[in-house]
Amino acid sequence: MTNDQVQQVKILGFANWLLARKFGTEIGIRDTNAMENVVSLPGGGSLTCFLGEKLSNRRDLYTQLGWFVYYMISGEPFNSKNRSTTLLMLSWCLKYYQMDYDIEALRDFIRNMDPMKQGNSDISLWFSSNCH
Amino acid sequence: MRRKIIRVGSSRGVLLPREVTRAMTWDFGSEIELNMNKEKKELTLSTIKVKIPDEYNTDMMNEIVEILNENADVLGGIDD
Repeated sequence: MTNDQVQQVKILGFANWLLARKFGTEIGIRDTNAMENVVSLPGGGSLTCFLGEKLSNRRDLYTQLGWFVYYMISGEPFNSKNRSTTLLMLSWCLKYYQMDYDIEALRDFIRNMDPMKQGNSDISLWFSSNCH
Repeated sequence: MRRKIIRVGSSRGVLLPREVTRAMTWDFGSEIELNMNKEKKELTLSTIKVKIPDEYNTDMMNEIVEILNENADVLGGIDD
């Protein structure tokens, strides 16, 4: 992993630790390969939207969020609170990008998302339709 | 603030008032530091200070904590 990817894993691990501690569930990474997938993008790219360097266009952001959500939910890298960690990091990111969105609608989308039926492009589409 | 030493089984204990634990953000299971000065007959309780490594973005971490606190109901609504 690159240094940037290690940084992103640390931030995701911190968010998961907060949630697991608050809701009394198991702390820790379950699957390191699944964790690496979360901070990687197909074709050798890496997730950058949680590093504080703003992406210049929304399309790139929606694409990254699509892959992020897909790998978090399908791979379940943490022992618990994978969907909640996904929602917490998305909330941070959308706030950071000063986007309007309905957190309850986002929660329902993340809660009901089925990685067997919805791929990264479906998820990206949801963001482009519901976050402005 | 004065407190009495009470019996806790075969040990001695001091109960911390709620306003103290709230102000110090100590909860059940929190680890705290005891420092004893025998000469002065003083004992101080303090929060354990954890040094966050420089490469961590503490502003971002604080923002994440803030979002979690603001949206705890929503975030707790996902059963996973």
